[in-house]
Amino acid sequence: MSEATTGSQALSLAAELERLREERDELQHLLAEAHKMASLGRLSAGIVHEINTPIGSIFSNNEVLSRTAEKVRALVLAAAESNQPPPAKALALLDTMMSLFAVDKMACERISSVIRSLKTFARVNDSDIREIDLNELLLNTIKLTSCTYRRRVSVETDLGELPKVECYPGLLSQVFLNLIVNASQAIPNEGRILVSTRQESEHVHVSVTDTGTGIRPQDRHKIFAAGFTTKPIGEGTGLGLNITREIVVDTHGGTIDFESEVGVGTTFHVHLPVRQPRREGSL
Amino acid sequence: METNGQANASVLIVDDEDMVTTSIRAFLQLETEYDVYGFNDPVQAVRHLETNPVDVIVSDYLMPKLNGIQFLSKAKEYQPEAARVLLTGHADKQSAIQAINEVGLFQYLEKPWDNSQLLLVIQAAIERTVLLRTLRDKISALDVAHSNLKDVQSKLLRAFL
Repeated sequence: MSEATTGSQALSLAAELERLREERDELQHLLAEAHKMASLGRLSAGIVHEINTPIGSIFSNNEVLSRTAEKVRALVLAAAESNQPPPAKALALLDTMMSLFAVDKMACERISSVIRSLKTFARVNDSDIREIDLNELLLNTIKLTSCTYRRRVSVETDLGELPKVECYPGLLSQVFLNLIVNASQAIPNEGRILVSTRQESEHVHVSVTDTGTGIRPQDRHKIFAAGFTTKPIGEGTGLGLNITREIVVDTHGGTIDFESEVGVGTTFHVHLPVRQPRREGSL
Repeated sequence: METNGQANASVLIVDDEDMVTTSIRAFLQLETEYDVYGFNDPVQAVRHLETNPVDVIVSDYLMPKLNGIQFLSKAKEYQPEAARVLLTGHADKQSAIQAINEVGLFQYLEKPWDNSQLLLVIQAAIERTVLLRTLRDKISALDVAHSNLKDVQSKLLRAFL
Protein backbone atom coordinates (compact mmCIF):
# COMPACT_ATOMS: atom_id res chain seq x y z
CA MET A 1 0.00 0.00 0.00
CA SER A 2 1.44 3.36 -0.99
CA GLU A 3 1.89 6.21 1.41
CA ALA A 4 -0.53 8.29 -0.67
CA THR A 5 -3.25 5.63 -0.33
CA THR A 6 -2.72 5.33 3.43
CA GLY A 7 -2.84 9.12 3.74
CA SER A 8 -6.06 9.33 1.77
CA GLN A 9 -7.61 6.51 3.82
CA ALA A 10 -6.63 8.30 7.03
CA LEU A 11 -8.22 11.52 5.74
CA SER A 12 -11.37 9.69 4.79
CA LEU A 13 -11.52 7.99 8.22
CA ALA A 14 -11.00 11.34 9.94
CA ALA A 15 -13.83 12.83 7.89
CA GLU A 16 -16.04 9.85 8.76
CA LEU A 17 -15.16 10.26 12.46
CA GLU A 18 -16.02 13.94 12.31
CA ARG A 19 -19.33 13.13 10.58
CA LEU A 20 -20.16 10.54 13.25
CA ARG A 21 -19.29 13.03 16.01
CA GLU A 22 -21.64 15.60 14.47
CA GLU A 23 -24.32 12.95 14.14
CA ARG A 24 -23.85 11.99 17.81
CA ASP A 25 -24.10 15.65 18.89
CA GLU A 26 -27.23 16.04 16.81
CA LEU A 27 -28.77 12.93 18.37
CA GLN A 28 -27.86 14.15 21.86
CA HIS A 29 -29.64 17.44 21.14
CA LEU A 30 -32.67 15.58 19.82
CA LEU A 31 -32.74 13.27 22.85
CA ALA A 32 -32.47 16.23 25.22
CA GLU A 33 -35.25 18.01 23.31
CA ALA A 34 -37.47 14.91 23.41
CA HIS A 35 -36.82 14.50 27.13
CA LYS A 36 -37.63 18.16 27.73
CA MET A 37 -40.94 17.79 25.90
CA ALA A 38 -41.71 14.66 27.96
CA SER A 39 -40.94 16.58 31.20
CA LEU A 40 -43.18 19.44 30.09
CA GLY A 41 -45.88 16.94 29.19
CA ARG A 42 -45.77 15.58 32.73
CA LEU A 43 -46.04 19.13 34.09
CA SER A 44 -48.88 20.04 31.74
CA ALA A 45 -51.72 19.07 34.12
CA GLY A 46 -50.35 21.55 36.67
CA ILE A 47 -49.88 24.22 33.99
CA VAL A 48 -53.46 23.73 32.74
CA HIS A 49 -54.75 24.06 36.31
CA GLU A 50 -52.65 27.18 36.85
CA ILE A 51 -54.13 28.83 33.76
CA ASN A 52 -57.71 27.56 34.05
CA THR A 53 -58.17 29.02 37.51
CA PRO A 54 -57.59 32.68 36.53
CA ILE A 55 -59.44 32.18 33.23
CA GLY A 56 -62.44 30.92 35.22
CA SER A 57 -62.33 34.03 37.38
CA ILE A 58 -62.03 36.38 34.42
CA PHE A 59 -65.00 34.78 32.62
CA SER A 60 -67.12 34.87 35.74
CA ASN A 61 -66.15 38.44 36.62
CA ASN A 62 -66.78 39.70 33.10
CA GLU A 63 -70.38 38.56 33.30
CA VAL A 64 -70.85 39.81 36.86
CA LEU A 65 -69.26 43.19 36.08
CA SER A 66 -71.49 43.69 33.08
CA ARG A 67 -74.67 42.90 35.05
CA THR A 68 -73.50 44.97 38.02
CA ALA A 69 -72.81 47.93 35.75
CA GLU A 70 -76.38 47.66 34.42
CA LYS A 71 -77.73 47.69 37.97
CA VAL A 72 -75.58 50.66 38.98
CA ARG A 73 -76.68 52.53 35.86
CA ALA A 74 -80.36 51.91 36.64
CA LEU A 75 -79.93 52.99 40.27
CA VAL A 76 -78.03 56.16 39.34
CA LEU A 77 -80.53 57.11 36.61
CA ALA A 78 -83.47 56.58 38.96
CA ALA A 79 -81.78 58.74 41.60
CA ALA A 80 -80.97 61.45 39.05
CA GLU A 81 -84.56 61.56 37.85
CA SER A 82 -85.74 62.33 41.36
CA ASN A 83 -82.81 64.67 42.08
CA GLN A 84 -81.46 62.33 44.74
CA PRO A 85 -77.82 61.42 45.35
CA PRO A 86 -76.76 57.92 44.19
CA PRO A 87 -78.14 55.38 46.69
CA ALA A 88 -75.88 53.46 49.05
CA LYS A 89 -76.69 50.27 47.15
CA ALA A 90 -75.08 51.73 43.99
CA LEU A 91 -71.93 52.64 45.92
CA ALA A 92 -71.76 49.13 47.42
CA LEU A 93 -72.06 47.65 43.93
CA LEU A 94 -69.26 49.93 42.72
CA ASP A 95 -67.07 48.61 45.55
CA THR A 96 -67.80 45.04 44.40
CA MET A 97 -66.88 46.06 40.86
CA MET A 98 -63.59 47.56 42.03
CA SER A 99 -62.65 44.35 43.87
CA LEU A 100 -63.46 42.26 40.78
CA PHE A 101 -61.33 44.54 38.57
CA ALA A 102 -58.47 43.94 40.99
CA VAL A 103 -59.05 40.18 40.79
CA ASP A 104 -59.04 40.36 36.98
CA LYS A 105 -55.75 42.23 36.95
CA MET A 106 -54.21 39.62 39.22
CA ALA A 107 -55.65 36.83 37.06
CA CYS A 108 -54.20 38.34 33.86
CA GLU A 109 -50.80 38.72 35.52
CA ARG A 110 -50.95 35.07 36.58
CA ILE A 111 -51.69 33.83 33.06
CA SER A 112 -49.07 36.11 31.61
CA SER A 113 -46.34 34.90 33.97
CA VAL A 114 -47.07 31.23 33.17
CA ILE A 115 -46.94 31.95 29.44
CA ARG A 116 -43.66 33.88 29.88
CA SER A 117 -42.10 30.95 31.71
CA LEU A 118 -43.36 28.50 29.08
CA LYS A 119 -41.63 30.55 26.40
CA THR A 120 -38.30 29.72 28.02
CA PHE A 121 -38.91 26.09 27.10
CA ALA A 122 -40.57 26.63 23.75
CA ARG A 123 -37.56 27.78 21.73
CA VAL A 124 -37.70 25.26 18.94
CA ASN A 125 -34.49 26.08 17.13
CA ASP A 126 -32.06 26.91 19.88
CA SER A 127 -28.94 25.30 18.57
CA ASP A 128 -26.65 28.32 18.90
CA ILE A 129 -24.74 29.49 21.92
CA ARG A 130 -26.23 32.67 23.37
CA GLU A 131 -25.64 34.91 26.36
CA ILE A 132 -28.43 34.56 28.90
CA ASP A 133 -29.52 35.75 32.31
CA LEU A 134 -29.24 32.48 34.24
CA ASN A 135 -31.23 33.81 37.22
CA GLU A 136 -34.14 34.63 34.91
CA LEU A 137 -34.00 31.14 33.39
CA LEU A 138 -34.09 29.65 36.91
CA LEU A 139 -37.04 31.82 37.97
CA ASN A 140 -38.99 30.76 34.85
CA THR A 141 -38.21 27.11 35.57
CA ILE A 142 -39.34 27.49 39.19
CA LYS A 143 -42.55 29.17 38.01
CA LEU A 144 -43.39 26.25 35.70
CA THR A 145 -42.63 23.52 38.19
CA SER A 146 -44.50 25.38 40.93
CA CYS A 147 -47.70 25.05 38.88
CA THR A 148 -47.57 21.37 39.79
CA TYR A 149 -45.79 21.29 43.15
CA ARG A 150 -46.39 24.59 44.94
CA ARG A 151 -49.19 23.23 47.12
CA ARG A 152 -46.77 20.98 48.95
CA VAL A 153 -43.30 22.27 48.11
CA SER A 154 -42.18 25.84 48.70
CA VAL A 155 -39.26 27.06 46.64
CA GLU A 156 -36.95 29.68 48.07
CA THR A 157 -34.30 31.48 46.06
CA ASP A 158 -31.03 33.06 46.99
CA LEU A 159 -29.88 34.46 43.66
CA GLY A 160 -26.57 36.28 43.57
CA GLU A 161 -25.48 38.81 40.98
CA LEU A 162 -24.34 36.91 37.89
CA PRO A 163 -22.72 37.90 34.62
CA LYS A 164 -24.45 36.86 31.40
CA VAL A 165 -23.64 33.21 30.80
CA GLU A 166 -22.78 31.80 27.38
CA CYS A 167 -24.72 28.58 26.84
CA TYR A 168 -27.26 26.66 24.82
CA PRO A 169 -30.33 28.08 26.63
CA GLY A 170 -32.71 25.35 25.48
CA LEU A 171 -30.41 22.64 26.79
CA LEU A 172 -29.64 24.44 30.03
CA SER A 173 -33.33 24.97 30.76
CA GLN A 174 -33.62 21.16 30.60
CA VAL A 175 -30.88 20.80 33.22
CA PHE A 176 -32.62 22.97 35.80
CA LEU A 177 -36.07 21.62 34.96
CA ASN A 178 -34.73 18.11 35.68
CA LEU A 179 -33.05 19.14 38.92
CA ILE A 180 -36.05 21.06 40.29
CA VAL A 181 -38.59 18.39 39.26
CA ASN A 182 -36.36 15.69 40.80
CA ALA A 183 -36.05 17.73 43.99
CA SER A 184 -39.85 18.17 44.15
CA GLN A 185 -40.45 14.47 43.57
CA ALA A 186 -37.90 13.55 46.25
CA ILE A 187 -40.07 15.32 48.84
CA PRO A 188 -42.74 12.83 49.92
CA ASN A 189 -45.19 15.21 51.58
CA GLU A 190 -44.42 18.84 52.29
CA GLY A 191 -40.99 20.41 52.15
CA ARG A 192 -38.70 23.07 50.81
CA ILE A 193 -36.33 23.60 47.91
CA LEU A 194 -33.62 26.24 47.94
CA VAL A 195 -32.15 27.41 44.63
CA SER A 196 -29.08 29.58 44.95
CA THR A 197 -26.62 31.10 42.51
CA ARG A 198 -23.20 32.66 42.93
CA GLN A 199 -20.39 33.82 40.67
CA GLU A 200 -17.11 32.07 41.42
CA SER A 201 -14.37 33.75 39.32
CA GLU A 202 -14.89 32.50 35.75
CA HIS A 203 -17.71 30.14 36.71
CA VAL A 204 -21.24 30.37 37.99
CA HIS A 205 -22.34 28.00 40.72
CA VAL A 206 -25.98 26.93 40.90
CA SER A 207 -27.16 24.74 43.75
CA VAL A 208 -30.52 23.05 44.22
CA THR A 209 -31.18 21.80 47.75
CA ASP A 210 -34.22 19.79 48.76
CA THR A 211 -35.56 18.51 52.07
CA GLY A 212 -36.43 15.17 50.47
CA THR A 213 -35.69 11.56 51.23
CA GLY A 214 -32.05 11.73 50.12
CA ILE A 215 -30.21 9.29 47.85
CA ARG A 216 -29.38 5.87 49.31
CA PRO A 217 -25.61 5.22 49.55
CA GLN A 218 -25.92 2.14 47.30
CA ASP A 219 -27.58 4.25 44.55
CA ARG A 220 -25.16 7.16 44.57
CA HIS A 221 -22.70 5.84 42.01
CA LYS A 222 -25.52 4.98 39.60
CA ILE A 223 -27.62 8.13 39.51
CA PHE A 224 -25.97 9.62 36.40
CA ALA A 225 -26.13 6.33 34.49
CA ALA A 226 -28.61 6.03 31.63
CA GLY A 227 -31.65 3.93 32.54
CA PHE A 228 -31.29 4.17 36.32
CA THR A 229 -34.39 5.39 38.16
CA THR A 230 -35.99 4.91 41.55
CA LYS A 231 -39.29 6.42 40.39
CA PRO A 232 -42.38 4.32 39.66
CA ILE A 233 -42.97 3.10 36.11
CA GLY A 234 -44.33 5.90 33.96
CA GLU A 235 -42.88 8.69 36.14
CA GLY A 236 -39.19 8.39 35.40
CA THR A 237 -37.33 7.45 32.25
CA GLY A 238 -34.00 7.02 33.98
CA LEU A 239 -32.55 9.46 31.46
CA GLY A 240 -33.04 12.77 33.25
CA LEU A 241 -29.80 12.94 35.22
CA ASN A 242 -27.86 11.23 32.44
CA ILE A 243 -28.93 13.93 29.99
CA THR A 244 -28.36 16.58 32.66
CA ARG A 245 -24.77 15.40 33.14
CA GLU A 246 -24.11 15.31 29.40
CA ILE A 247 -25.46 18.84 28.91
CA VAL A 248 -23.47 20.27 31.83
CA VAL A 249 -20.21 18.35 31.38
CA ASP A 250 -19.94 17.36 27.70
CA THR A 251 -21.77 20.25 26.07
CA HIS A 252 -20.89 23.16 28.36
CA GLY A 253 -17.61 22.04 29.93
CA GLY A 254 -19.03 22.37 33.44
CA THR A 255 -19.26 20.04 36.43
CA ILE A 256 -22.12 18.51 38.35
CA ASP A 257 -21.95 16.76 41.70
CA PHE A 258 -24.12 16.26 44.74
CA GLU A 259 -24.16 15.67 48.47
CA SER A 260 -26.96 13.73 50.08
CA GLU A 261 -28.09 12.47 53.45
CA VAL A 262 -30.88 9.92 53.72
CA GLY A 263 -33.88 11.44 55.50
CA VAL A 264 -32.42 14.96 55.36
CA GLY A 265 -32.16 15.85 51.68
CA THR A 266 -29.91 16.37 48.70
CA THR A 267 -28.01 19.25 47.16
CA PHE A 268 -26.92 19.25 43.52
CA HIS A 269 -24.11 21.62 42.58
CA VAL A 270 -23.72 22.73 38.98
CA HIS A 271 -20.67 24.76 37.95
CA LEU A 272 -20.76 26.34 34.51
CA PRO A 273 -18.10 28.41 32.78
CA VAL A 274 -19.25 31.96 32.07
CA ARG A 275 -17.64 31.84 28.59
CA GLN A 276 -17.65 28.97 26.14
CA PRO A 277 -14.63 28.24 23.89
CA ARG A 278 -14.94 30.00 20.49
CA ARG A 279 -16.46 27.69 17.93
CA GLU A 280 -17.05 28.23 14.27
CA GLY A 281 -20.43 29.80 13.67
CA SER A 282 -21.10 30.60 17.31
CA LEU A 283 -21.31 34.06 18.86
CA MET B 1 -81.79 34.62 37.33
CA GLU B 2 -84.50 32.84 39.33
CA THR B 3 -83.53 30.98 42.43
CA ASN B 4 -86.88 29.28 43.03
CA GLY B 5 -87.51 30.39 46.57
CA GLN B 6 -84.22 29.05 47.91
CA ALA B 7 -83.50 32.34 49.61
CA ASN B 8 -82.31 30.94 52.92
CA ALA B 9 -79.93 28.41 51.44
CA SER B 10 -76.26 28.47 52.35
CA VAL B 11 -73.32 27.67 50.10
CA LEU B 12 -69.74 27.06 51.18
CA ILE B 13 -66.95 27.52 48.64
CA VAL B 14 -63.40 26.29 49.22
CA ASP B 15 -60.54 27.11 46.89
CA ASP B 16 -56.98 27.98 47.82
CA GLU B 17 -57.16 30.76 45.23
CA ASP B 18 -58.68 33.92 46.62
CA MET B 19 -59.58 35.00 43.08
CA VAL B 20 -61.94 32.03 42.71
CA THR B 21 -63.78 32.46 46.01
CA THR B 22 -64.04 36.23 45.42
CA SER B 23 -65.45 35.76 41.91
CA ILE B 24 -67.99 33.08 42.79
CA ARG B 25 -69.06 34.85 45.95
CA ALA B 26 -69.59 38.11 44.02
CA PHE B 27 -71.61 36.25 41.39
CA LEU B 28 -73.84 34.42 43.90
CA GLN B 29 -74.37 37.50 46.02
CA LEU B 30 -75.42 39.46 42.96
CA GLU B 31 -77.77 36.81 41.57
CA THR B 32 -79.16 35.08 44.67
CA GLU B 33 -80.08 35.59 48.30
CA TYR B 34 -77.91 32.70 49.46
CA ASP B 35 -75.59 32.97 52.42
CA VAL B 36 -72.20 32.43 50.79
CA TYR B 37 -69.11 31.42 52.80
CA GLY B 38 -65.73 31.42 51.06
CA PHE B 39 -62.61 29.76 52.46
CA ASN B 40 -59.10 29.61 51.05
CA ASP B 41 -57.95 27.09 53.64
CA PRO B 42 -59.73 23.70 53.63
CA VAL B 43 -58.86 23.10 57.30
CA GLN B 44 -60.67 26.30 58.32
CA ALA B 45 -63.59 25.27 56.12
CA VAL B 46 -63.81 21.92 57.96
CA ARG B 47 -63.89 23.81 61.26
CA HIS B 48 -66.76 25.93 59.96
CA LEU B 49 -68.66 22.79 58.93
CA GLU B 50 -68.31 21.29 62.42
CA THR B 51 -70.85 23.75 63.78
CA ASN B 52 -72.56 25.49 60.87
CA PRO B 53 -74.98 23.58 58.65
CA VAL B 54 -74.80 24.37 54.93
CA ASP B 55 -76.77 23.10 51.93
CA VAL B 56 -74.05 22.91 49.28
CA ILE B 57 -70.27 22.56 49.45
CA VAL B 58 -68.24 23.54 46.37
CA SER B 59 -64.58 22.53 46.55
CA ASP B 60 -61.46 22.86 44.44
CA TYR B 61 -59.34 19.73 43.96
CA LEU B 62 -55.69 20.82 44.19
CA MET B 63 -55.22 22.51 47.56
CA PRO B 64 -52.49 22.45 50.21
CA LYS B 65 -53.08 20.51 53.47
CA LEU B 66 -56.20 18.69 52.18
CA ASN B 67 -57.03 17.98 48.55
CA GLY B 68 -60.61 18.28 47.34
CA ILE B 69 -61.43 14.62 47.90
CA GLN B 70 -59.94 14.56 51.41
CA PHE B 71 -61.79 17.77 52.26
CA LEU B 72 -65.13 16.52 50.90
CA SER B 73 -64.72 13.25 52.84
CA LYS B 74 -64.34 15.26 56.06
CA ALA B 75 -67.28 17.45 55.05
CA LYS B 76 -69.37 14.31 54.52
CA GLU B 77 -68.58 13.16 58.08
CA TYR B 78 -69.94 16.38 59.58
CA GLN B 79 -72.75 17.07 57.13
CA PRO B 80 -73.72 13.96 55.20
CA GLU B 81 -76.78 15.60 53.66
CA ALA B 82 -75.04 18.66 52.20
CA ALA B 83 -74.53 18.18 48.45
CA ARG B 84 -70.87 18.02 47.42
CA VAL B 85 -69.58 19.60 44.21
CA LEU B 86 -66.00 19.41 42.93
CA LEU B 87 -64.89 22.40 40.84
CA THR B 88 -61.47 21.72 39.44
CA GLY B 89 -59.01 22.92 36.85
CA HIS B 90 -57.01 19.73 37.28
CA ALA B 91 -57.18 17.95 33.94
CA ASP B 92 -57.35 14.51 35.47
CA LYS B 93 -60.40 12.33 35.00
CA GLN B 94 -59.02 9.90 37.59
CA SER B 95 -59.64 12.46 40.34
CA ALA B 96 -63.23 12.83 39.12
CA ILE B 97 -63.87 9.10 39.22
CA GLN B 98 -62.23 8.83 42.64
CA ALA B 99 -64.35 11.72 43.94
CA ILE B 100 -67.58 10.27 42.62
CA ASN B 101 -66.85 6.87 44.11
CA GLU B 102 -65.34 7.89 47.42
CA VAL B 103 -67.28 10.94 48.53
CA GLY B 104 -70.61 10.49 46.75
CA LEU B 105 -70.18 13.58 44.63
CA PHE B 106 -73.32 15.41 43.46
CA GLN B 107 -71.60 17.03 40.49
CA TYR B 108 -68.13 17.45 38.94
CA LEU B 109 -67.43 20.79 37.25
CA GLU B 110 -64.33 21.90 35.41
CA LYS B 111 -62.59 25.27 35.39
CA PRO B 112 -63.01 27.59 33.65
CA TRP B 113 -66.57 27.35 34.89
CA ASP B 114 -69.71 28.77 33.37
CA ASN B 115 -71.72 30.88 35.84
CA SER B 116 -75.13 29.79 34.51
CA GLN B 117 -74.15 26.14 34.73
CA LEU B 118 -72.69 26.64 38.21
CA LEU B 119 -75.91 28.28 39.39
CA LEU B 120 -78.06 25.50 37.91
CA VAL B 121 -75.92 22.90 39.68
CA ILE B 122 -76.11 24.79 42.98
CA GLN B 123 -79.90 25.18 42.67
CA ALA B 124 -80.33 21.46 41.94
CA ALA B 125 -77.96 20.62 44.81
CA ILE B 126 -79.94 22.76 47.25
CA GLU B 127 -83.15 21.07 46.11
CA ARG B 128 -81.60 17.67 46.72
CA THR B 129 -80.37 18.66 50.17
CA VAL B 130 -83.77 20.05 51.14
CA LEU B 131 -85.45 16.85 49.90
CA LEU B 132 -82.98 14.69 51.84
CA ARG B 133 -83.57 16.68 55.02
CA THR B 134 -87.34 16.47 54.51
CA LEU B 135 -87.00 12.73 53.98
CA ARG B 136 -84.90 12.43 57.14
CA ASP B 137 -87.51 14.40 59.13
CA LYS B 138 -90.33 12.23 57.72
CA ILE B 139 -88.43 9.06 58.54
CA SER B 140 -87.79 10.19 62.11
CA ALA B 141 -91.46 11.24 62.44
CA LEU B 142 -92.40 7.79 61.16
CA ASP B 143 -90.03 6.21 63.68
CA VAL B 144 -91.63 8.20 66.49
CA ALA B 145 -95.13 7.26 65.26
CA HIS B 146 -94.05 3.64 64.95
CA SER B 147 -92.67 3.54 68.46
CA ASN B 148 -95.81 5.31 69.81
CA LEU B 149 -97.92 2.72 68.01
CA LYS B 150 -95.89 -0.07 69.57
CA ASP B 151 -96.43 1.49 73.00
CA VAL B 152 -100.15 1.72 72.39
CA GLN B 153 -100.18 -1.86 71.08
CA SER B 154 -98.38 -3.19 74.14
CA LYS B 155 -100.70 -1.19 76.44
CA LEU B 156 -103.71 -2.62 74.60
CA LEU B 157 -102.34 -6.12 74.90
CA ARG B 158 -101.69 -5.65 78.60
CA ALA B 159 -105.22 -4.25 79.06
CA PHE B 160 -106.88 -7.24 77.39
CA LEU B 161 -104.71 -10.07 78.65
